[in-house]
Amino acid sequence: MSRLNPFAKLPGLNAASVLLVENEEHFQQSLAEALVKETSVTVNVRLAKSFPLPVENDESRPRIDLVVFIINLTSELSFQSAEASLKYLEPGYFLGKVCFMVSNARSSSVPAERLDAVRRLAASLHCPLLFAEDQTQQGVTNAAERLLTILKVAAGFVPFTTSLCLSNLTRSTLPPDIDQPSFD
Amino acid sequence: MAGLEAGSPLPQAAQAELLELCEVQFAHLEKLQNELLLSEPDLCDSPQEQIQNRLMVTEAELKKRQTEEPKLLAENPDVLFHAGKEEMLKLCSQLETVLSCCEAKRDKLRETKELEQKWLEEKVQVLKAVKTHVEQLQKEKENVSALSMLQDIKEKIQKMKAYQETLMECLGDILEKHIPLPQVEPEPSRRKKKSVECEITPEVVSLSEVLEALMNKALQSPHDPYVIVDNTFWPPYVEMLLRYGIAVRHQENNFKIRLGAFF
Repeated sequence: MSRLNPFAKLPGLNAASVLLVENEEHFQQSLAEALVKETSVTVNVRLAKSFPLPVENDESRPRIDLVVFIINLTSELSFQSAEASLKYLEPGYFLGKVCFMVSNARSSSVPAERLDAVRRLAASLHCPLLFAEDQTQQGVTNAAERLLTILKVAAGFVPFTTSLCLSNLTRSTLPPDIDQPSFD
Repeated sequence: MAGLEAGSPLPQAAQAELLELCEVQFAHLEKLQNELLLSEPDLCDSPQEQIQNRLMVTEAELKKRQTEEPKLLAENPDVLFHAGKEEMLKLCSQLETVLSCCEAKRDKLRETKELEQKWLEEKVQVLKAVKTHVEQLQKEKENVSALSMLQDIKEKIQKMKAYQETLMECLGDILEKHIPLPQVEPEPSRRKKKSVECEITPEVVSLSEVLEALMNKALQSPHDPYVIVDNTFWPPYVEMLLRYGIAVRHQENNFKIRLGAFF
């Protein structure tokens, strides 16, 4: 079982690579397009459906600075595939190089337990949890902006801030009443 | 790896120095990378180990930060100038964002504070009103004793009785004036009517007496308020009462009527 290693390769010059993992492969596209619009650094976006990643790309793949798991709350499969993919990552990634992005959190068909489960997962791994709105262009741009801030830190573009530092500050925590029924 | 700044080109010396610095750093990076590759991968699958790992790494970073001494980015002043300018501009824009964010928060808090104050005022007023009411009730309770309450009730009963007397008198007067007893017509020309009226026995009672009978029966025996219609009741009277809803026929027996519900 080959895991993705965060420090196996040398970083590219003035470049940052991000891997978007999404089971539905839907939000990835628009997000990728918004991400590459960034001009100050060269953003390399790789898309994947789930882990394990195809072995034939191993050589050509650059060093991945940030792995983003996109979970669509309206489907249970999305969450499960993200969870299953976690074990293919080296533990070095969980020190700030992994981020969870959740879409469709406002939809009424979403059971509250799923969001709670995602929250618990993000809190247990000490990773930031972002909520994104993927239907409108504005929502996609906003999500891309936030990802870029985390990506820049993970790729080392921000002086005096390591990704571990940032993740310690922005990690998601569980609200204390997460086990109690909500007023829905 | 910090990017090279755009803008006015650096003089040659500065560029050369920067490139050299970059090379040095890159060589350092490669060395570290090789060391990393050779080192054993750490497999920490349980969350416990993960947290320990995190703690170790954080401590190592902290130590490095503490022992690190600040040094100039480069010797060349041009490089420093460019880098400094860029950083300043970035800092300015970030601070501006922070400022607008704080202002928005402050405005929101102000609004909330005003709303809360209004709410508080309303509640204070309600409390005042309730307090005065309670005081009033307490005063009344003190002043009132059993005797005075009894007297109050007696007075009320007297008033009610007087009112009822006046009402009954009024009723009697009206009935006398407008609905008198059917008299036997003395005119002999109207034979038909006479014959009709001859059927009327002198025991026909006036409407006031009919009403009195109905009312008494209703009050005395509320479970059976029915009065039997016999020939002492003049039929047109009964018909009138029924038609206006003052009296109501019994469901099974057409000869029984009772006072209709008026409340």
